[in-house]
Amino acid sequence: MLSYVLDRLKSSLVVLFVVSIITFFVLMIIPGNPAQLILGTDATPEAIAELSSAMGLDKPLYQRYLSWLLDLLKLDMGKSYVYGESVTSLIARSIPVTFSIAIFAMTMAVIIAFLFGMLSAIKKNSIIDYFSRSIMQLGTAIPSFWIGMVLIVYFGVKLKILPVSGFVPIERGFAHFIKSIFLPSLVLAIGEVGTLLRIVRSSMLDSLKQDYMDMARVKGLGWGKIYIKYALRGALTAPLTIIGMQLAKLAGGTTVVETIFALPGLGRLVLTAVEHRDIVLLQGLVMFITSTVVFVTLIVDILVMLFNPRIKSFHQGE
Amino acid sequence: MNNTVELKNLHIKAGNTSLVYKTSLIVKEGEIFGLVGESGSGKTLTAKAIINLLPQGLTYTADEIITVGKNMLTASNEEKRDHIGKNVGYIPQNTVFYLHPLIKIKNQIGDGYIQHTHKTKQEALEKAGMLLSKVGFKSPKTILNYYPWQLSGGMRQRCNIAMALMNDPKLIIADEPTTALDTTVQKQVMELFKAINEEMKLSILLISHDLGLVKRYSHSLGVMYAGQIVEAGSASTVFDEPKHPYTQLLIKIIPSLNIKKSEPLTEIPGFVQDKDRDSQGCLFYNRCPKAMDICRVKVREHMKEDHYYRCNLE
Amino acid sequence: MKKNISLILGIILVFIILGIWVLSFVRMPYNPNEMNISNRFLGPGLDRDHVLGTDNFGRDILSRIMYGSRNVLLVALVSVTLGSLVGIFLGALAAILKGPVEKIIMRIMDGLMAFPGILLAMMLVAVLERGIKDSIAAISIFMVPVFSRLVYSMILDTENLLYIKAAKSYGSSKKQIFFKHYIPAMLPRLITQFSSSMGSAVMIETSLSFLGLGIQPPYASWGLMLSESRQFFLNYPYLAVAPGIAIIITILGFNLIGDGLNDILINRGSNHE
Repeated sequence: MLSYVLDRLKSSLVVLFVVSIITFFVLMIIPGNPAQLILGTDATPEAIAELSSAMGLDKPLYQRYLSWLLDLLKLDMGKSYVYGESVTSLIARSIPVTFSIAIFAMTMAVIIAFLFGMLSAIKKNSIIDYFSRSIMQLGTAIPSFWIGMVLIVYFGVKLKILPVSGFVPIERGFAHFIKSIFLPSLVLAIGEVGTLLRIVRSSMLDSLKQDYMDMARVKGLGWGKIYIKYALRGALTAPLTIIGMQLAKLAGGTTVVETIFALPGLGRLVLTAVEHRDIVLLQGLVMFITSTVVFVTLIVDILVMLFNPRIKSFHQGE
Repeated sequence: MNNTVELKNLHIKAGNTSLVYKTSLIVKEGEIFGLVGESGSGKTLTAKAIINLLPQGLTYTADEIITVGKNMLTASNEEKRDHIGKNVGYIPQNTVFYLHPLIKIKNQIGDGYIQHTHKTKQEALEKAGMLLSKVGFKSPKTILNYYPWQLSGGMRQRCNIAMALMNDPKLIIADEPTTALDTTVQKQVMELFKAINEEMKLSILLISHDLGLVKRYSHSLGVMYAGQIVEAGSASTVFDEPKHPYTQLLIKIIPSLNIKKSEPLTEIPGFVQDKDRDSQGCLFYNRCPKAMDICRVKVREHMKEDHYYRCNLE
Repeated sequence: MKKNISLILGIILVFIILGIWVLSFVRMPYNPNEMNISNRFLGPGLDRDHVLGTDNFGRDILSRIMYGSRNVLLVALVSVTLGSLVGIFLGALAAILKGPVEKIIMRIMDGLMAFPGILLAMMLVAVLERGIKDSIAAISIFMVPVFSRLVYSMILDTENLLYIKAAKSYGSSKKQIFFKHYIPAMLPRLITQFSSSMGSAVMIETSLSFLGLGIQPPYASWGLMLSESRQFFLNYPYLAVAPGIAIIITILGFNLIGDGLNDILINRGSNHE
């Protein structure tokens, strides 16, 4: 089993390596001298040259890549042009915001998807089933910015029960924290629930067809046991994998929502970096976000493997 | 009630196609009833109808279905489930996924027992251990900790048997219990059924395509063809004096039949029909060596001292 | 026939959008960029001059929707086409050549797929300019890995099928096998993926232009319309309705076609049991 984990670790590292190359070299194509960007248009050529050499911009490309990579490993991601702060601290400040809404969103999506997915598999072709299938389709077609705006108007302004912008950290009170992230998480959840519901429903349908359902019924077990202990247990592998993928995807896909709800998270940083072409900040952000994605995917794969005793023992001999 | 199962005139349909028609049987208390027939003859469906286990999508009617004293036609779903859980043990044909692959044996063998007797898990495990030794396991504790896929087919079958016995049922339905096993294990399992029947006096509905096996171990037997019971009675009577041409041919081809529905029987030309199983004529007509014209339209039912058969011949 | 509801509904929706697109070339009620401050913030109404109302600059919303459809569909179609062609080529290359070429290509694809959501597109837009061409470039690159992985795995699967091995053994030329066997096997999935990717492309484009990173004025895009309406949305909610619905219909349409095709061509239909 250790060898399986090491193997996956190795693949993940290779992927991250490729990502770093893509990130670094793609962002190097930007026309214009970064030093000039920092100093502004009326800087003297000498000042630019001095800063360039201080920044190491005159060295050959591969050398710059390597030193950037080494710095990364020391968690030094450089200094942002726009903010003048170290990228690392900017990211550290933004992590709680983005992760909070990502996790809360995923929780909401999981609850709704499992509830409706199971019900619609058990009562196939009933009204609940049709309703679920509509959620499936609509969820993935509704743009987050649109529904975000609609919810803001409705809940924030008309009904005035939820805040429409700003992030309240958990230290300032749990209730306030939840209220501040509720709407943005809801918007994110709407985007993810469709896919997850579909998977839960189809896995449940497959599980319900299995022979062990006969066994559960003939033993006269109550429906709680039948549908949860037997049916659901056999239907978890695919949904768990998807949840992992979605969580990872959310880590990097919160820009729009953070913009609408004025949340100071990673997504907003990305937008700022892109708008101002703050290469250093962008590089750091992209590496951080993709590393999170790769890492979460790795963890989920390992968890799914552990969860399925058959696969686990298959690897146990290694 | 002297009879564990009373089934009269069962008719099972999938949409408009009849699968089982006019099937009746009686399993007496404490006896082993063998239900014989080829694949596709409707044996499993008949058994499932008796215990309320028919898949969705099939409809059924009957004059009477009384299982272990309960009228299955008038009982509510709740009652049926509860009654079957307490009084019937079902051992299915295909063992591979019958036990849940992701749950350890100890966590699934006893849950029916706990549900019906309200005993604790500990007590359930004790009883399970006891039953597992009874079915031949030397170290039940190890078995309890296994996952089903860690066991061989024969071992899984024996676990199923132990699980079926947990609630001290009055009826066991064993569907092709020996098909997936090799001959030595087959004998073990059948001897086990015999012992259980004699010791615990429980009735067994034994389903098999193997007439030889059924003859050896059952007290009564019924022969099914194309969804109907064509002959039934005590095992010795049916075997010594078979009245239906199909039964007669089957006996000729023993020791075992391992024939699929779409392949013709070795000495009987033709195929088992899927359609028109509810026609009033004899379904064996086009393959019967002794067929007469009238057999196409009408079949006579005979009932002579517990020996039943459907044939226009004497 | 129940399986076809998805497909039929999808086709209807896409046709509606295509209709709007076609009409935009024939005749738009007003000039989409014509500003008329005295007419701003007129509400919608079937009996009025401006059926869907006017925006904060007095521009006719219906015309802007029609005008916007041109670019949204253009960007989506071109990106998916480009991305799929490049992806198919690279995927096929990897599967056929195998060896180090295969490893390199597939690793790059894995790397590209590690970028979540629109992050990749945003990164590329940072490097390029903003506008139609650059959106196309960014979204095309986003589409490449999906198609290349798909083709790669399909070729490998098909290779292992017995009838292919049989065909090889009795001497059919590689070309023959390729065209007679591989392509028919792969085409349905590719078409389905194309349709679903159209949906994603529209979603990404509208998100990018909402953030101001995509299509720029004087061109119009539904995402841009929504972002322009943000400030005034609280007082004039109707501003967001039309573009939002246009986006939803388009994405829903393509997704439904993709799903409907999936059920029919792959023939498993597990979502419609």
